[in-house]
Amino acid sequence: MSLSFKPIQPLLQTGTNASSRWLSYIGLGIGVLLLLCSIQMFINIQKLLREGSIRKDGFDFVSITKTITNETMGQPEKNLFNAVDIDELKKQPFIDAVSPLVANEFRVTLSAGSMLPFKTDMFLESLDNEFLDTIPPGFSWQQGQTNIPIILSSDFFEIYNVFAPGQGLPQVSKETAIGIPVQITCYGPNFQEYIFTGNIVAFSDRIHSVLVPKSFLHWANSTLSNKQEVKASRLFLKLKDVNDPKLIQFLDAKNYTVNSDKTLLGRNKIVLQGIFSGLGIFGLLVVVLALMLFSFYLQLVIARSRQSLELLLTLGYSPGWLGKNVSMRFIPVYIVIVLSALAFTQLMQWAFHKFIMFNRPELSSFAHWLVLLVALMLVILSAFTNFKLVNRLLYKLGNS
Amino acid sequence: MGTLTIKNILPTYFEDNRKQTSEIWGKDLNFTNGDLIKIVAPSGTGKTSLIHFLYQLRDDYGGNILYNSKDLRQHNREDIAQLRKDCVSIILQDMRLFGEQTLLENLEIKRQLNPYHPQEKIVEMAKRLGIDGRLNALAKQCSYGEQQRSVIVRALMQPFDFLLMDEPFSHLDELNAQKAMELILEEVAQRNACIVFAELERVDYYPATKLFHL
Repeated sequence: MSLSFKPIQPLLQTGTNASSRWLSYIGLGIGVLLLLCSIQMFINIQKLLREGSIRKDGFDFVSITKTITNETMGQPEKNLFNAVDIDELKKQPFIDAVSPLVANEFRVTLSAGSMLPFKTDMFLESLDNEFLDTIPPGFSWQQGQTNIPIILSSDFFEIYNVFAPGQGLPQVSKETAIGIPVQITCYGPNFQEYIFTGNIVAFSDRIHSVLVPKSFLHWANSTLSNKQEVKASRLFLKLKDVNDPKLIQFLDAKNYTVNSDKTLLGRNKIVLQGIFSGLGIFGLLVVVLALMLFSFYLQLVIARSRQSLELLLTLGYSPGWLGKNVSMRFIPVYIVIVLSALAFTQLMQWAFHKFIMFNRPELSSFAHWLVLLVALMLVILSAFTNFKLVNRLLYKLGNS
Repeated sequence: MGTLTIKNILPTYFEDNRKQTSEIWGKDLNFTNGDLIKIVAPSGTGKTSLIHFLYQLRDDYGGNILYNSKDLRQHNREDIAQLRKDCVSIILQDMRLFGEQTLLENLEIKRQLNPYHPQEKIVEMAKRLGIDGRLNALAKQCSYGEQQRSVIVRALMQPFDFLLMDEPFSHLDELNAQKAMELILEEVAQRNACIVFAELERVDYYPATKLFHL
């Protein structure tokens, strides 16, 4: 029936108890605003704290060591990773692969020979090739070879250039450094010397070390040291997400120390996620309370309009049609409230991006599509809840 | 074509022995289009209850009431609404108007539900019953007689196979009652409908085809 609701409208006592109605509108608006802002900030955190970690082929790589405390100091068996530790790490679902950084178990010195008046004790480490960000051609060694290719940490190179002037040494560019041959002297247990030439073949942003081919260090450790088993003081982990809270919790529980710049973000992320999740839940609770308050208001409207509604039913008006039209009266209000909250959220996102994040490219000035979707779902939820309630009340209206 | 069947009905608050003295309670009766039924019922015999049962305003009875072979109790709320909109009209003893609306608004609320007549017919019928001058008055400000006449007009605004009337002229004088009856009979004839007229005593200007004592 193409009926008009206009003649029926005056029969509904919606003007009564306006304060209750407005209170529920305001409550709904605040709740929706809190909810939408929390969701947007949650998304912002995900985007911001995902950047900054070094990734290769979709994985993050970090190195870990055992935390050395006063109690464990001087006890290698407690400070080094053994096979059991490595196996346990491999079993974790958030760790894709594990590779020990094997260090030299003998004394090593490096000098620049006649090129530069530079000599220092140093350490060498090796790692599975898979974990290297760059594998230059020629990064290999066979027994008998006198030349050792080196991959040097970019950070270490920077440190040299910082301190070089104070030591009367020249600062060098990366390109020049690659061309400079160095002398590497390895000392055996009986003070025998093994002299090699070394040259930098690449720099690594990921590995803070002086890397040599695995085959060289394996030969050198077995030849020049007395130790049968070489334990690693550092392990490299291949991860899907360096900021995974489960990873952080596991490493904390095992007392492993990680490259701080990689997981500080992870710890911050956990805290921030916690804060905004809490806010989001609070917002949702406020939405629920506002909807409940509004349902009380609706019940009051229907109770006060009971006689009129019963007479309409007596005259032959369909309860379904009445219910639909009564509840639809409030849909524009819901739309206005949610749209207003959405507009505020958009404004806050724009302001956050512009004035607090200084237009960082990781973020957008526009609200995320998920926020828009949640706003739409809230309108539908409000309208649906209303509709169900009104219908239930109307069907309960008895015949007098 | 519509049929109204009453099967052995009796209000739950009546003793069973009522069936013995009543021509309605406890009986199986059939009414159809064109019947002009008169039910004479002194006070306390349940005539308002009967009209309410027939309109599904109350359900506290034993037995069955069927419209077009479908039991009223098998109708859901939407079915009942449709029955009242399309098939069964009623003039209630207690009138029941929207007090804060004018007589015209009251009539239009009913008319727009299932417009059998155009809006102009409201004024025409009101004129016939002498209430055209009160159409813009609030219902609560009208006399019982004016309200009752407007309720009569309201009942005639829709299509129907059955018109239920419960003391429809209780607040009208003889002349106005006859005028109202004339109008009702014309509208009923137009629809070839059936009237179920419950009244305290016989009414001479109602050409009943069947007479029952409740």
